[in-house]
Amino acid sequence: MTLAPTSTTARDDDPEARPGRTPQPAEDRRAHRLLRLLRRPLSLQGLLVGGAVVVVGYLAIVPLGYLIHDTFLSADGSGLSFNAFARAYGGNSQSGEMMLNSLWFALGSAALALVLGTALAYVQVRTDTPFKGLFFAASLVPLIVPGILYATSWIFLGDPSSGLLNSLVFKPLFGSSPINIYSVWGMIWVQGLHLAPVAFLLMVAAFRAMDPSLEESAAMSGANRLTVLRRVTVPLLRPAMISAALLMFVQSLESFEVPGLLGLQNGIYVFTSRIYFVLRAYPIDYGAAGAYAIGLLVIAAVGVLVSSWLQRSSRNFQTVTGKAFRPRPVELGRARPFVGAGVILYFLLTVVLPVAVLVYASLLKYYAAPTRKTLSQMSLANYRAVFDMPLAFTALKNSLIVGVGAATAVMLLTAIVSWVVLRTRAPGRRLLDLLAFTPIVIPGLVLGLALSFVYLRMSLPIYGTLLILLVSYCTRYLPYGMRYSSSAMAQMSPELEESAAVSGASWFQTFRRVLLPLMSGGILAGWVYILVVSFRELSSTILLYSPGKEVLSVLIWEQFENGQFTTLAALGVCMVVLLVVLVSIAYRLGARFGLQSDSAN
Amino acid sequence: MRTRNTTLALAGLLVAAATTGCGGAVTTASNAKADGTYAQIAALPKDQQVAKAKELAQKEGRTLSLYTSMTADIATPIAQAFEKQYGIHVSVFRGNSETVLQRALQEAQAGKAGADTVETNFLEMTALSDNNLLADFNGSSLDKVEPAGKFAHWTASRLNVFQPAWNTDLIKPADEPHSWEDLALPKYKGKLTLEVSDSDWFENVTKYWLDQGKSQAEVDKLWKAIVANSKVSKGHTTMMQFLSAGQSPMEAMNYTYITDRAAEKGAPVTHLPQGGVSKIPAFARPNGVGMIKNAQHPAGAWLFYNWLLTDGQKELVKLGLTPSTKVPGDKSLTGLTLVPFDVKGLSKDDGSWDKKYDALLRGAATTGS
Repeated sequence: MTLAPTSTTARDDDPEARPGRTPQPAEDRRAHRLLRLLRRPLSLQGLLVGGAVVVVGYLAIVPLGYLIHDTFLSADGSGLSFNAFARAYGGNSQSGEMMLNSLWFALGSAALALVLGTALAYVQVRTDTPFKGLFFAASLVPLIVPGILYATSWIFLGDPSSGLLNSLVFKPLFGSSPINIYSVWGMIWVQGLHLAPVAFLLMVAAFRAMDPSLEESAAMSGANRLTVLRRVTVPLLRPAMISAALLMFVQSLESFEVPGLLGLQNGIYVFTSRIYFVLRAYPIDYGAAGAYAIGLLVIAAVGVLVSSWLQRSSRNFQTVTGKAFRPRPVELGRARPFVGAGVILYFLLTVVLPVAVLVYASLLKYYAAPTRKTLSQMSLANYRAVFDMPLAFTALKNSLIVGVGAATAVMLLTAIVSWVVLRTRAPGRRLLDLLAFTPIVIPGLVLGLALSFVYLRMSLPIYGTLLILLVSYCTRYLPYGMRYSSSAMAQMSPELEESAAVSGASWFQTFRRVLLPLMSGGILAGWVYILVVSFRELSSTILLYSPGKEVLSVLIWEQFENGQFTTLAALGVCMVVLLVVLVSIAYRLGARFGLQSDSAN
Repeated sequence: MRTRNTTLALAGLLVAAATTGCGGAVTTASNAKADGTYAQIAALPKDQQVAKAKELAQKEGRTLSLYTSMTADIATPIAQAFEKQYGIHVSVFRGNSETVLQRALQEAQAGKAGADTVETNFLEMTALSDNNLLADFNGSSLDKVEPAGKFAHWTASRLNVFQPAWNTDLIKPADEPHSWEDLALPKYKGKLTLEVSDSDWFENVTKYWLDQGKSQAEVDKLWKAIVANSKVSKGHTTMMQFLSAGQSPMEAMNYTYITDRAAEKGAPVTHLPQGGVSKIPAFARPNGVGMIKNAQHPAGAWLFYNWLLTDGQKELVKLGLTPSTKVPGDKSLTGLTLVPFDVKGLSKDDGSWDKKYDALLRGAATTGS
């Protein structure tokens, strides 16, 4: 730390300060980083950082402002009012019970997904397990398959009376039908599996950026494997794990696909049942919808604050330092076949089974359990129907443009903003972090309304073009990008930036040549996540798209509304194939630009 | 050097994005011309209106914007048939009826009408009309529509008929329902599915029972028994999927056209008992068409409105829907016992039936019913 006093950004911003400056404590120095950057507002980095902060703030504030306005303004528009909360939570709304159901469901799903995702990521990155190639599919396919199809597949598999798992596996083998997908456990199972890729993508990036020498030193000092895992590995991964848990928890609280399809059957109502109910009635009680969203926001805000409190001593997690390291795989030894079998089992459960149901359904005219009669009537007619859809290629093109655009924009913005949040002492940086997280709780329809409200009143040609979808996706996926970026940033020690600065690099050079490449694992993971999920975003899209500017999710919704489940299944299968190809190209390109790859085995 | 260029480009992009966000003026494109066109057509003798509208539509650029909740497999052929007849291209925005309403309202508030004509469900059409978004139509095509299909500022174009539906492999002829009351029978325990948003059906059946002389207590008891027999699901098409697959045996209510379409594909489902005649009172909910005030293409909107009530009706029949006028060859109502849909009760509704139905499904105590 003898070099510490040299100011990081002095080279570029403050030429006179270079020689013979009095040493400053590190904290002070950081406090001034942002200010110094912004002192020359027209410098490149000033523009970049300031611009990114402004854009992120703007993206988050528009829907939030709309929501707050509708929630707290009394019906006659005369002043502040809390009536909306009474309407939302009071009376016979049973909101307490629903909140408990929701929390139980969200906690369970997040926990399951976190355990699965982390374990898989560990096995993938840090061990010499067989079948590494399968991880790639296991991490993507559940993300790609639209939630409604994924849940429906599980209904066909896990229905207590006619589900295929019960009728083809458990009944003949054990004489009972133990699986009931219409329970809280069933909901947690389906949601957890659907979410596990979020955790997996984040944790893979985190494991890759972790210096194994810390674990090795612990092992050398006599700690056994479990102790190393418990005392070294897991604590080091805390930022990424907290980020993943937070994202998945809030997302489960907010999602209605699984509770709507599985929970309602047995009268398991969740919080989002209330939001769904409020938003589809006319006149829409925007106040009540807002009151629910603000309830979720409070939970999410607590989550963000707790997570930043848990990361308060940030040096603890900085594993990417000036020292070179090479992650060395743990040899599994005798456990190797068992781990391999576990991988195959997971792959079967999350990918093969649901996709097989989809493929099977896509060959039928209407879904029916497999019998000789149904098997003999299989055809490729549904695939023909997909390719004959007049809009299929326009929609694919538009989805690609908007998806790649949103993924790229969000990851670039959040990389910069996470630097501001984690590396500077700029006032309001916590608020910025919180603000960037708020879009996750805003119901899609409310986001759509907020955006159309703003852009209908703007002379720029945004409403009615693809740009409004881009804005909407950037807003919606901002929280995800932020979590991916900041967990990658948290692992990096500032000494790298400092050495770059000492060697004469400007802020921008440091950012581009040092930080971005080192964060590339996390950034690529976030990019892939956003690209994939943007293909199925519907709740705001449906209000904002324009004729001729359809995207794939609109087509999916149309097939669903038409009751063409089997055509929809064919479309789903095509999407899985297409996105797997796309993402593997992205990873190949990533590998070319120096991203470590360990999937080849 | 490349770095510098990308950087500059990026910075430019960000600045552009930022200014986009902050700047922007409010523009309203109030289109008084549209109301003039509507008035001009309305003032003509009825036999000259179509010719005038065609002439004016040519000047509008032969294009038309339709917002509808018709599913794509219906909206697309309808738009094509209209285009074929008049040479006017229809660009179709499709969404749930709620979405159609929200979008039209938002655009109207901003003074930028994106739609020229709207075709959607009863409740949403009523809301559009109440919000003063619709222009009046007085074409000769109205003569074919029955008085029950004519509303303030809009007209019924097709009907969605409420009936139970069941899987014929799982519900044998002896177990078929013959009245709404039958759904409360203990033999259907665990076999029924209710849809989470069918409050308009709930209102109609309730009113029908009360009109038949049942007491409120009797009605409440029947509903409790029906709910006790049922699971709850979301979405009529999803439910039909599960019904076809034999996952659920019976649905308390689905639209007859959805059941008919699944049956056409070979699924073992029906809404008619063995004899082919159902005595269960069939409520027919009108879906309607309207012209938007301040539209960009008012003459096109007028033509579409007129067409949907005349030649368009035949297209609807071809697609298996129930038209709002009498069309030769329409078999969609065969075997059904139609009763009037409670237009009055639902158009004055302020969402209280939604709330009551929701509370009933959740088993929560209802207040003030």
